[in-house]
This record gives sequence, C-alpha cells and structure tokens, in this order.
Amino acid sequence: MAKLMSFKNTVLKNLFSKPVTKNYPAEPAVYPKRSRGHIEINIEDCILCGICSMNCPSRAITVDRKAGTWTINRFDCVQCGYCTEKCPKKCLSIVPGYQEPMSMKASATYEKPVEEKKKFPQADTEVCVFCTLCAKKCPQGAITVDRAEKKWELNKDACVSCGLCESNCPKKCISMKEEN
Amino acid sequence: MGKQSIIPFGPQHPVLPEPIHLDLVIEDEKIVEAIPSIGFVHRGLEGLVKKKDFNEMTYVVERTCGICSFMHGMGYCEAVENVMNVEVPDRGKYLRTIWAEMSRIHSHLLWLGLLADAFGFESLFYQCWRMREKVLDLFELTTGGRCIFSVNKIGGVLKDIDAEMLQTMLSVFEEMETELKTIRKTFLFDYTVESRLKGVGVLTKEQAHNLGAAGPFARASGVKIDMRTRGYGAYPDLDFEPITSEIGDSFARCDVRINEIFQAIDLIRQMIGKMPSGEISAVVKGNPNGEYFMRVEQPRGEAIYYVKANGSKFLDRMRVRTPTFANLPGMLETLKGADLADVPLLILTIDPCISCTER
Ligand code: SF4
Ligand code: SF4
Ligand code: SF4
Repeated sequence: MAKLMSFKNTVLKNLFSKPVTKNYPAEPAVYPKRSRGHIEINIEDCILCGICSMNCPSRAITVDRKAGTWTINRFDCVQCGYCTEKCPKKCLSIVPGYQEPMSMKASATYEKPVEEKKKFPQADTEVCVFCTLCAKKCPQGAITVDRAEKKWELNKDACVSCGLCESNCPKKCISMKEEN
Repeated sequence: MGKQSIIPFGPQHPVLPEPIHLDLVIEDEKIVEAIPSIGFVHRGLEGLVKKKDFNEMTYVVERTCGICSFMHGMGYCEAVENVMNVEVPDRGKYLRTIWAEMSRIHSHLLWLGLLADAFGFESLFYQCWRMREKVLDLFELTTGGRCIFSVNKIGGVLKDIDAEMLQTMLSVFEEMETELKTIRKTFLFDYTVESRLKGVGVLTKEQAHNLGAAGPFARASGVKIDMRTRGYGAYPDLDFEPITSEIGDSFARCDVRINEIFQAIDLIRQMIGKMPSGEISAVVKGNPNGEYFMRVEQPRGEAIYYVKANGSKFLDRMRVRTPTFANLPGMLETLKGADLADVPLLILTIDPCISCTER
C-alpha cells in the first residue's frame, strides 16, 4: 500500500494550498536588485571612446564619434555586463527590467548633449620615467614611448580620450588637456 | 532471427528538448542496435577564440549550455588561471563552488522532472520543476541571471554574496530539503516508478569503465569517479564522498542523482559555515602563455577544458569535452536489447545535453 500511496501527502498539500504561479500580469513580477534586465547609459559622462563597443561579445553597441551618438541594439545584447566592466568612465550599468518584445530588432540611440572640445593626454616629460605602462594600457595603441630616446608621442587621430593612460600612470605625469 | 526494421528516432521528438538522431534497428519490439548521428546544433564556439580575446571568451564559453552555464565559465576561467598562474582568493573560490553546487541542484531537479515526464508521471514532473524554480530565484538574487549568470571572470568572480543573501539561501535550502524528502519517497518507493525504472537499461561496472562513461551515469554503475575529489575550487576544504550505486540500472541513476541533490545542499551549508572573508578576485596582468587541461565535475559528469595560449590576447586553441559526449557510447550500450517503449527513458537517463556536446 505504501508503494501506491507515496504521492498522497503531496497531492493533499497541493489540493489545499494556493497555486505557486502568479496571476501575471495582474500581479506584476518582482525583480531582485541585481537582476540583469538591460543596459543603461549615463550619456553625460560618456566620452564616446568606443571601448564598450570594441569589447562587447555580441557587438551590440555602436559608437559614432563624429555624429556624437552611442547606439545599442537591445535585441543583440546578451546582458553579459562586460561593457559595464570595461567602460573607463563607469557610465554604463545593468538594471532590472527586460526589453519588451517587438516585431523586429530595434536599437536605442543616445546623443551626447554638448560637444565639448576633445581632451588629449599630455605627459610631463620631466617627471616621466618612460615606463611604457600608458602605451600598454591604451586601448587604441595611440601612445609610443621610446625609452632609449626618452620620447613620449601621441597619435591624436587614434586617441579616443578615454583617460586610461592618465589613470594608469604610476608617476601621475599624464594629464588630459583640451586642444587649443 | 526475426525480421529487422529501422525506426528513425529524433532529431525532433517529444522527449528530446534538443536534437539528436538515432536509427533504431529493431527486431519485433526489441532494439538490436542504435546508430546515432549528431551535429544538428553545432555552433563553432571553439573557433571563436580567434575572434574574441581571452577575457571576452568567458562570456562565450558560459553560453555553451543553459544548464551548466556557470560550470562552463568556471572550468574555462580555471584553465586560463592555471596557464597564467593566478591564484583566486579563497572567498572567490568559495563563491564559485557555491554557485557550482547550486547549478548541480537545479540541473538534477530539472532532470528528475524530465524523467518523471518521460515515464508519464506529470504531477511529479511539476513538483520537481516547482522546486527548481526556487534555486533559479536564488540565482537571480545573487547573480542577476536565472540561467546565464555572467559572474565569472579570469581571476575570480564579479559579484559577492553578502551575509543576508547567504542567510536567505540557508532558509530556502532548509525548506527545499524537507520537500525533497517527500518527493524522494515517490521516486524511490513508488510502485509505478519502480516498474518503469528497475532493471531497465543495465550498464555493468566493466561496461561503464570501458566505454568511458562519466558522472552520475558512471557512478550509478559503481565507477567511483568524481572530479571534485581532484580538489579544485573550495572542494579540498569540504567533506564529501562520491555517491555511487552498484546496480547500474535506470533506477540507480535516479537514486544517485537524488542523493547528489542532498549532498549538494550539504556542501553549500558547509561552505556557508566557513565562508572566508576578503577579496573575491585577483588582479590579472598580461596575456596567457602555455597550455592546460582543466577537469571539472559538472552535473552530468566530467567536463574537460583544454586551453592553449601563445602570449597574445587571443588563444590558439580552446576545446571542451562535455560529459554527454562521453556518455553517448554507454547510452547506446544500454539501448541494446531494450524495448522500443523504453528508448525515450534510456536516452534521458544519461541526462543528455546536446548543445554542450556540439558546442
Ligand atoms: S566605454 Fe563608456 S565612455 Fe566609452 S563609449 Fe562606451 S559608454 Fe561611453
Ligand atoms: S551587456 Fe554584454 S552584450 Fe550587452 S552591450 Fe554590454 S557587453 Fe554587449
Ligand atoms: S586617452 Fe590615453 S589611453 Fe585613452 S586612447 Fe588616448 S592615449 Fe590611449
């Protein structure tokens, strides 16, 4: 008998308890704080460096520096959060709330409000020890350091003004200055 | 000898969430031989190492599978960390191991549900999946994702689990353990379940060993093989014994997996009990150079990650050998001589994950 009635307790319990499912959407879903719903950008802080787009595993982000736009295809994004790790300005975050379904893939474009003058790093060659750390950290390979010749050079066309060289310099001799 | 005919099974079949095809050679109702063909969902993940740098690859690797996603990421990261000689801080190791054991619980509950579904016990199926939902909620609370967590990185983990969350986990697992004990009674002592599982698809210890079976499938046949005893993550600090059974039939596989859920809950308790404080990840400098084989115990068995690096951002090679791949020969063996009606059940008993197999 025990072999036939082993499920009895579960059946009885379920008969007299509330359903485990929610009456969605009348009763909305509650997401925990860490829920990875979608990427949010604080466009004011963004410097359009493009590091997020270069590192995004699904290539969901496009950064157009000339037009001053940051675009994300929310249907391509896999919510991995790698862009939030990589952004030098920490202006990306991943927040609860999923993208609503649509009949076709759509992207969201954010425009940089005011186009400021671009800032470029400048090294104080008096203090600089030519350790080449800035060159190694530069995501664009825009810095060339020649230890023998004691030369620090910047390729302004390649530089995206991310400021990583400034924050990584052990001697703190790099500063980001506006172009005159 | 009776007349032989061939019945195609899959790639689309109600019991298969993923595509695998078998040509079943049958004589009357008995299977004489099963000839598999795979490759329906090959995605070429391993080739992507040439296009994505080794850090970015973490997010690709964990998308190999939706069930063991965490362990895929963990195995890959540990392989690269070993190449780079990076020591993950203790807390990072513990967090990884907690998430890994939670993955085991949710994977086994998923399997138990599918098994119940395969032998036609629908309500038991829903009971298992209802319980699994709690683990998924815990995952969402701690990592932000329900199936893909993106918390692994080379050098450690990205998110910490605070004391309050650990407490929530303890109480959820406490509750779950009670419910699981009730369900265990049905799985292991119910007449209907017994008649569908006992003596079905026996794989002897020798066969399991010779055919290179892995994980619970091998342990149910008495092969005491469990990669966790190799001691990666927090396992060296934990007290556990691989769960085995000598019987080797479908019932034994069910028995081993149910008991592994209890074991996983116990391991999580042990870890929460002695959770070290401190950093959760180490600083990683430079690019990897060298090669490494990492072996981890996934819910389905041993998975191997091979990584070969050349000192640049991009790896030379990455290879994943998944447990389902190792278990396919064993599965084909159990099919020989089985009833046609038992085929769906027998395929399920290895807990197949075809996406993993085909990467
Ligand atoms: S990495 Fe950050 S600062 Fe750079 S473009 Fe992306 S969002 Fe803007
Ligand atoms: S979350 Fe991942 S997939 Fe989405 S935009 Fe960021 S890096 Fe790309
Ligand atoms: S700001 Fe510095 S690190 Fe960034 S791109 Fe320009 S030179 Fe390279």
